[in-house]
Amino acid sequence: MEPSSSNKEIRIKGIPASPGIAIGSVLVLSGDSIKVDSNSITPDQIDAQIAKLMQAIEKSKIDLIELREKAEQSFGETDAQIFDTHNLMLDDDLIIQEAIKRIRERLETADNAYFQAVSQFESYLAHTEDEYLRARTSDLVDIKRRVIRHIQGKPVFSFALLENPVIVVAQELTPSDTVNFKRDKILASATELGGRTSHAAIMSRSLKVPSIVGLGSALQALETGDQVIVDGNKGWVIAHPSLQTIAIYEKQRREFAVYQAKLGHIRDLPAKTRDGKKIELSANIEFPEEAQTIGEDGANGVGLYRTEYLFLTRKELPSEEEQYREYARIVQIMGDQPIIIRTLDVGGDKLPTSIKIAPEDNPFLGVRGLRLYLPFVDVFKTQLRAILRASAKGQVRLLLPMITTVSEIKFCKEILAEVKEDLRRGQIPFEENLPVGATIEVPSAAIIADIIAAECDFLSIGTNDLIQYTLAVDRGNENLAYLYQAYNPAILRLIREVIEKGHQQTVWVGMCGEMASDPLATMILIGLGLDEFSVSPISIPLIKEIIRRVDYTECEGLAETVLKCQSVEEVKAVLRTILKQKFEDLLYCQIIAETNQD
Amino acid sequence: MITKTLKIKNKLGIHARPAGQIVKTSSRFSASIYLSKNGNEVNAKSIMGVLMLEAGYGSEIILRIDGEDEFEALRALEELIDKNQFGEE
Repeated sequence: MEPSSSNKEIRIKGIPASPGIAIGSVLVLSGDSIKVDSNSITPDQIDAQIAKLMQAIEKSKIDLIELREKAEQSFGETDAQIFDTHNLMLDDDLIIQEAIKRIRERLETADNAYFQAVSQFESYLAHTEDEYLRARTSDLVDIKRRVIRHIQGKPVFSFALLENPVIVVAQELTPSDTVNFKRDKILASATELGGRTSHAAIMSRSLKVPSIVGLGSALQALETGDQVIVDGNKGWVIAHPSLQTIAIYEKQRREFAVYQAKLGHIRDLPAKTRDGKKIELSANIEFPEEAQTIGEDGANGVGLYRTEYLFLTRKELPSEEEQYREYARIVQIMGDQPIIIRTLDVGGDKLPTSIKIAPEDNPFLGVRGLRLYLPFVDVFKTQLRAILRASAKGQVRLLLPMITTVSEIKFCKEILAEVKEDLRRGQIPFEENLPVGATIEVPSAAIIADIIAAECDFLSIGTNDLIQYTLAVDRGNENLAYLYQAYNPAILRLIREVIEKGHQQTVWVGMCGEMASDPLATMILIGLGLDEFSVSPISIPLIKEIIRRVDYTECEGLAETVLKCQSVEEVKAVLRTILKQKFEDLLYCQIIAETNQD
Repeated sequence: MITKTLKIKNKLGIHARPAGQIVKTSSRFSASIYLSKNGNEVNAKSIMGVLMLEAGYGSEIILRIDGEDEFEALRALEELIDKNQFGEE
């Protein structure tokens, strides 16, 4: 077949942020396309222009009331508060007076005067040292766009007015863009900027529409009305697709929809093998927003709540109160389901601005994870206090990162006892029996897992670091990507030992690394006796489906076979074959069985 | 007219949320209210003004209030900034 137009097919690669496939027409949301009337007015028009400006501001305030309500309903109070700041900015006398002065003295049109006035404050904020204040410039851009469209009598863009659903393309999506996202209006989103944890990515995941971020300036080639394909599974945007490409993706889209529908029905069913072995299936999360949707995905709790974002997105360390509010919020969302909170896990490659350590030649072998608590014991204590206080409100468990020796656990437990004593004296409620777990991600800890387990209530295997430290390979080093082998027999043996030694000490053993989300690994991990899988939210239905379709005894047999393999190639060949045989209908497993060839 | 020097005691300083609180509190009063830091004076009823003050943890700000309800305004702002520390640490 011939391409549908003279435009050549273009493929742009980005970071897949929310899975799924969409085919549709583009709507470019552009913040920079504000055009103002730069002609001069005559003095007799001054009053009319000022009146126009004030009316537009009033109309914008009415918009914001509506947006705030919507945001509160869809995303909660914290997201809604963004619009309070917008409201204050709209009302701001400095901005309004500057705009009026420009109309009066420079005879500028209302839209031009407001544009110039706000832009002036934008550049002030953009040059402050405070990262937080700098981020407020996007709020100013937002109100500027809104007021100017009202002055010009143009409709302020609203998704509610769209007749057909679109694929939203933007440089970046602001909260007031995403608050209007509705599943029946948005097919997918694609942005130039942002990472997997950007606002647009999180919102898309919670709405379950495909999303790709970090596509770069190549995205600017797209125009409203262009036909594109968004492959949120692999991170491709395909512009001006040929009819042939459309046919291929249309098929994939249907298959993916069938796959999702198939997995959707098991949401409320337990993660249990056919012969009755119950597995804890929980989710790894990074933001409170994610906690709200993991129940819908069918998770039994949070197996890893990473707290680093609280420390890394700002200049100052978060206070106890702020941490407490954040933790308590998630704990309350989870109700009676468990939530494992991991204490701060950072190192020399990525540190909060206010924590300074001497430069290191090799940060991954340096002062990182729990090793940082010795020089910065107050940071650790503050976090423990906040976690303990939140523990009074639900099922909290504490996870310590990067345990290397048993004395480190003893040290942390001493600090924990001190903090508890402090809270007791202050008559502040907390859970006295807060379970404490160790992350097993350093080979030394894996080898002495029995000694570590004797000091803990549970173990959680962090495969990403365990692989990198065991095989002595930096997982970011592209030249060594072939050596970063999750299925290396050495890794599988270590995992087996950790689980066995944990069980010897009668503690349960979980896994929170990426391997737990890999369907290729599910059966062997069950067979090795892993008690808990903590996986990325989007992997929950698939992993649950696999658990529900297998027998524990069959998995034990498979684990035994696989652990006799001598090489990673052998291991993978066995696993791929069984995945293809048993789960042929699960599209994702197929993709993994075919592509996971390295 | 009354003036009073206050120290910013919450660790994050006057970021967006506290700035909003200052503006909302100040706007309840008819008195004119100004904040200054290092000789830089801004209107406390303007979010842009308060944000641009960039008052971080430990910085000293001077409140200058002029108007009929100046004492009530001072009390409310002292409570917000000094006593409650914006409800933060």
